[in-house]
Amino acid sequence: MKILKRYGALYVMMVPVVAYFLVFAYYPLVKGLQTSFQDYKLMGDRPYVGFTNYNAVLHDSTFWDAMVNTLVIGGGILFFSFIAPLILALSLNEVLQAWYKKLTQMILYVPHLLSWVVIGGIWIFLLSPDNGLVNMLLVHFFHISPINFLSDPTLARWIVILLTAWKEMGYTCILFLAAIVSINPSLYEAARMDGASRWNQLIYVTIPQLGNTMKVVFLLNTLGVLRIFDQVFILRNPTVASKLDVLMMYTFQKGILEIKLGPAAAASFFILIITLALTLVVRRMTRFDEV
Amino acid sequence: MSDRFERLGWKNKAFDTLNALFLLVLMLTMIVPFVNVLALSFSSGTASMQPDIVLWPKQFNAEGYEIVWKSLDIWRPLLNSVIVTLIGTTLHVLLSSLAGYVFIYPRLPGRKLMITFILITMMVPQEAIMIPLYVVNKDLHLINTLTALVLSGLVSGFSILLMRNFFLNIPHEMSESAKIDGAGEFRIFLTMYLRLAAAGLATVTLFEFVGRWNMFTAPVMFLSDSTKYTLQVALKAMIIDTSSNSGTYLVTTNVRMAGIVISIIPLLAIYPFVQKYFMKGILLGASKE
Repeated sequence: MKILKRYGALYVMMVPVVAYFLVFAYYPLVKGLQTSFQDYKLMGDRPYVGFTNYNAVLHDSTFWDAMVNTLVIGGGILFFSFIAPLILALSLNEVLQAWYKKLTQMILYVPHLLSWVVIGGIWIFLLSPDNGLVNMLLVHFFHISPINFLSDPTLARWIVILLTAWKEMGYTCILFLAAIVSINPSLYEAARMDGASRWNQLIYVTIPQLGNTMKVVFLLNTLGVLRIFDQVFILRNPTVASKLDVLMMYTFQKGILEIKLGPAAAASFFILIITLALTLVVRRMTRFDEV
Repeated sequence: MSDRFERLGWKNKAFDTLNALFLLVLMLTMIVPFVNVLALSFSSGTASMQPDIVLWPKQFNAEGYEIVWKSLDIWRPLLNSVIVTLIGTTLHVLLSSLAGYVFIYPRLPGRKLMITFILITMMVPQEAIMIPLYVVNKDLHLINTLTALVLSGLVSGFSILLMRNFFLNIPHEMSESAKIDGAGEFRIFLTMYLRLAAAGLATVTLFEFVGRWNMFTAPVMFLSDSTKYTLQVALKAMIIDTSSNSGTYLVTTNVRMAGIVISIIPLLAIYPFVQKYFMKGILLGASKE
């Protein structure tokens, strides 16, 4: 009673949030698990069918294509979205003129604010073989015939990977920059006393001091790998779809477009399990190094 | 990091110049595309279709904007986006800060349980429950309504924890003394904490505003009726689905680019505030979790 009197209002404040999560997070999770074991139709009977849906997904070659695409594109994004902002932050850190540093940061951050529809729309246009800017420049300077970037499966994968890294680097670089600023200045002083050049200071002071931030960024990026969707949905076209469609795209196609909700739910659970496993592995790995 | 003094010598100068150039090239990969888009949007239809490097409008006119507004009715998806963004953001900020406020009481019974309850929702990616979410929305008769979009991501663990971190910076004694004066929790929350954590509110509001304006997966899933389309979905149909010349009629480049420009304006309008608050928010969000 006493607790209720003292804290009652606080519990009331939690009610909407708890209710929301129950209906839109927990219930769908349970419902999804249930659906994955059902022959789920929008109307009528929904008999339980055991592992049929999981089997169907595991024997679907499109699923495995999607898995490979996720690993290749996700791996590429993981690498480039890590290295690009790191290089950017280190480079920005060497800029002496405050205004130039600020201006660069301001401009490089903009793509992060824009949707994939806008970014994708602009780049599809820029990369188009007819009158895209990129091809016009290539033709003008290198005298080659226009490249159809988004119709070539290998190139299209690269475009997805590099565009993602390009879009997000201004954002992630903030994390690195903040960490660089908080490095103890006496470390640099000591290094300079020992006659360390700028390059040596970078290699022996700055980069080792960024270890923890690198772990955080890597962990955050890993969580995002299986969620890649928007950029693929925007940049894909029938010619390259089989080399671009990632697991999320597979689920979307199965569930929303073909309305095969059972198999789609089963595929979602594979994604969920892989995500959780990946999180655990990366957490374990990054913690291991700390000891 | 090193002082000016140390940077004499041609090697350092050469490095600084190369470094500045490297950043300039990176900046150009962002500036040139946008200048190109802007210039094309103000060019005439025929001029915009010519293969030419356009960094300044050719045959300057606003025909692109006129067509996108009047013939393609972009005002309708724009309005839908505005509705979803404004209502969704307001509710999101309010609900997340309510929950964030609750967690500043360290001795609240059941606090740990509630935190775990929220952390679990953060571990499960929204995408993994996409299919059952569709079913839930269907059962609630929300398919093809804007309500479904407002409800999508209405609360997030991230915002709750972020708000909590901002609230924690406010001295606890203040609420204690207000309580002695007879103020209830709701009043303390509304009149003291929300006001004192204005920077936090601004951060979460901006994050959410940008997120909702750019929201894509949810509308693609929940909407099939084109009168309910949000700007992003309408843009996708207009810009991307027509560039593979499968559209029913040809949308000229200037019209497409005008659509892009219109969709970017609100984001650019809030960009100065974003700069002010995002940094802090990103760091708070990434450090304490």
